[in-house]
Amino acid sequence: MWIEGWIDHIFGQKWNPTYCLGALGYYYFWIVSISGIYVYIFFETGIPDAFMSIEYLTNEQWWLGGIMRSLHRYASDAMVAMMVLHIIREFAFDRYRGGRWFSWFTGVPMLWMVMIAGITGYWLVWDELAQYVAITTTELLDWFPIFGEPIARNFLAPSHLDSRFFTMMIFAHIFVPLFLLFIMWIHLQRVAHSTINPPRGLAIGTFLMLLVLSIIKPATSQSIADLSTIPSPVGIDWFYLWIYPLIDIVGPAWIWIGLLGGTALLLIVPWLPPAKKVPAAVVNLDNCNGCTRCVVDCPFSAITMQKRTDGMAFDQEAIVNPDICVACGICVGACPTASPFRRAGEFIPGIDLPGLSASTLRDKVERAASKLEGRPDRIMVFGCDKALRVDKFRGKGIATVSMPCAGMLPPSFIDFVLSRKLADGVVVTGCRRGECHYRLGQIWLEERLDGVRDPRLRKRVPRERVNRIWASATDGRMFARNMASFQGTLSDLKPIDHKIKKIKDGTEQ
Amino acid sequence: MTTDTHIVWREIFSTGIASVDYEHQELIKQINHVATQMSLPADPEHIIESLGDVFAQVSAHFALEESIMRRMKYEDYHDHKEDHEILLDEIRDIMDAYEAKQYDEDIGKFINMLNNWFLNHFSTKDAKLHGLLDSKDD
Amino acid sequence: MKKFIQYTAQALVYAGFAWFIGYFSNIPQYTRIPEDLALVKFSFAHGAKPKGECHTLTREELLALAPNMRKPRSCPRERLPVKVELKMDGETLLKETLIPTGLHGDGPSVIYKRLVIQPGEHQFHITLNDTDREEGYDYISQKTLTIAPGQSLAIDFKGSGIEFVYE
Repeated sequence: MWIEGWIDHIFGQKWNPTYCLGALGYYYFWIVSISGIYVYIFFETGIPDAFMSIEYLTNEQWWLGGIMRSLHRYASDAMVAMMVLHIIREFAFDRYRGGRWFSWFTGVPMLWMVMIAGITGYWLVWDELAQYVAITTTELLDWFPIFGEPIARNFLAPSHLDSRFFTMMIFAHIFVPLFLLFIMWIHLQRVAHSTINPPRGLAIGTFLMLLVLSIIKPATSQSIADLSTIPSPVGIDWFYLWIYPLIDIVGPAWIWIGLLGGTALLLIVPWLPPAKKVPAAVVNLDNCNGCTRCVVDCPFSAITMQKRTDGMAFDQEAIVNPDICVACGICVGACPTASPFRRAGEFIPGIDLPGLSASTLRDKVERAASKLEGRPDRIMVFGCDKALRVDKFRGKGIATVSMPCAGMLPPSFIDFVLSRKLADGVVVTGCRRGECHYRLGQIWLEERLDGVRDPRLRKRVPRERVNRIWASATDGRMFARNMASFQGTLSDLKPIDHKIKKIKDGTEQ
Repeated sequence: MTTDTHIVWREIFSTGIASVDYEHQELIKQINHVATQMSLPADPEHIIESLGDVFAQVSAHFALEESIMRRMKYEDYHDHKEDHEILLDEIRDIMDAYEAKQYDEDIGKFINMLNNWFLNHFSTKDAKLHGLLDSKDD
Repeated sequence: MKKFIQYTAQALVYAGFAWFIGYFSNIPQYTRIPEDLALVKFSFAHGAKPKGECHTLTREELLALAPNMRKPRSCPRERLPVKVELKMDGETLLKETLIPTGLHGDGPSVIYKRLVIQPGEHQFHITLNDTDREEGYDYISQKTLTIAPGQSLAIDFKGSGIEFVYE
């Protein structure tokens, strides 16, 4: 997290690459695809036509074909880097459990697809490296007694290899990425409002980087493949071919155990202990009129609308899928009935979290406020469980309440605290932009406070009394500093005026 | 239209959208209830609670109207929506004014203010929604 | 000014990442077999003779079969194992008994072995049995070859005799 803060300084929050690693991976996929189509046009399947056609592109057409080839190679390397960083980040930030298993699980086959695509790609060049890849891959596959004849025999000697082999290879090299594209689509199925494209500044910057690299160090082939010689030494692309030297060190049996066992382990990671089962959000039909705000805001597509089942005059009602719901509470923040102003009956919004109901949240706020001494600069802090823990900032006129996600906060709570004088200022805090554990809570709350997303914070709420200090777990000092300076301003503000200035009487607008 | 301090439902108020009409009727009931409470020597706490109910109800009602208008691609959506936001600010003003006991001078004027708050929007902007269902496809 | 510093810092990050990609894309090399050595790849797929004799079916045996299955001669499916030995300069490099592949033991016997050797002049002597003879060999092949460093000699068994493939 502090690394990301440091990167924030260099790229700015909007362009920080660590917040869109997946999107960058997809972006590189497009660069690889387009450059690949260009290279494909010139590729010839045959021996030595395959090698020669690529040599032509790299040498005779260095100013376009050669650059396309280099982009193809370097963008695919960059894609692997992004994929690995993305996996590490999502794992480190615990964003794969419960209802989020689907994203993780569908990502695992993508690892295999990307690797196979890269391996078949290097195979096509039919230079010394390709020869090495071909021989080692087939020998590795031959470890399984599933082929009648060892397939490595295809590469025994020059007379054993047929030109048609390249037709099959190019088919594999196109089909596997197409299938990968299909899985890329599935991977996002339960990710609402997904970020598929990196921000423009980052997209331009990273493309220029690849272009400059392609010009300075064009991708070249190694010497032409010759099955009557040993392909050694070879310059390995460590992004894709890292496993091949390993085969010689540990032997094919351990490699297969590692690959298959590793894949199986990755697949079950979402269900490994500790299992934390948090109860899913629950719709209360007496208070739901089917306005759809919760559906629009849910980051995981866990809520849908269905036809009314209680006979009320409304068309639809919201329904939560408990298998997908991660109990973040963002839906509660979106619900218009989650208003804490006192009611005749119980405070039950149309959608609620059993783990922290809106009514409990209001009680916590009132209790925390009651502990604030009489002074003109009391602050109520609304924090989130996944970012900087706010409890340790209590005391000296500061009360804190924490929610699973900052996005759970209905803006009316801020109105409630200030107008009922439970505090003199309100601070909202949570994960920094791009780091929200539940993806969209931070940005939704920002938009609600800015008045561009429903439910909006009422215009009449004095904005000088509301402060946002987004802080991750490592931002304690920054948070304390901002709190102190905010508290300093509060005593000087003019008190909130409860008098009505003007209400329209019977005249039309 | 009001009789004394009450709003009375009339057929011309109907928009043709069942859920919207239902909520309009419920809101009228609730506002009338508040008006009655204000006229009587009732417990101020109860009135504050009833106003809180009005706020929650009208917030939900506006949200539903907006989602219907968006779905129907209603051409005056933004204007109507802005009116909703202003009205929500105003009902909050009314709630805070009541809690600050600003009504001491004239409770009748206060009740009038509450009724007009509702009727102005209702008889202008909401009336335009009439026929929205007929003119657009569902 | 701040923008300028930011862009410069970004450029540095990009340069670092570009170097990382460019370097690991092909610069660290891998040597599977040292360049001063050579390789023999001994591999073939050859079906030995069937285990046992074919025999002609008697009338009763034919009648016992379904009408569409009445072939006059019946041969056993299972094949014999292939016995092979490779010697280089008198020293045995490999000696194997290769059982036939396939669920019913009727597929070819296969072998694929990689042997790293010193380059230079060598005499190769190969014997192969694909029948159930007790003594002697079904196929013998002998050849003297000069192997250069870095060369890959393939030895395959094709058709009528053990064939050396060398270019």
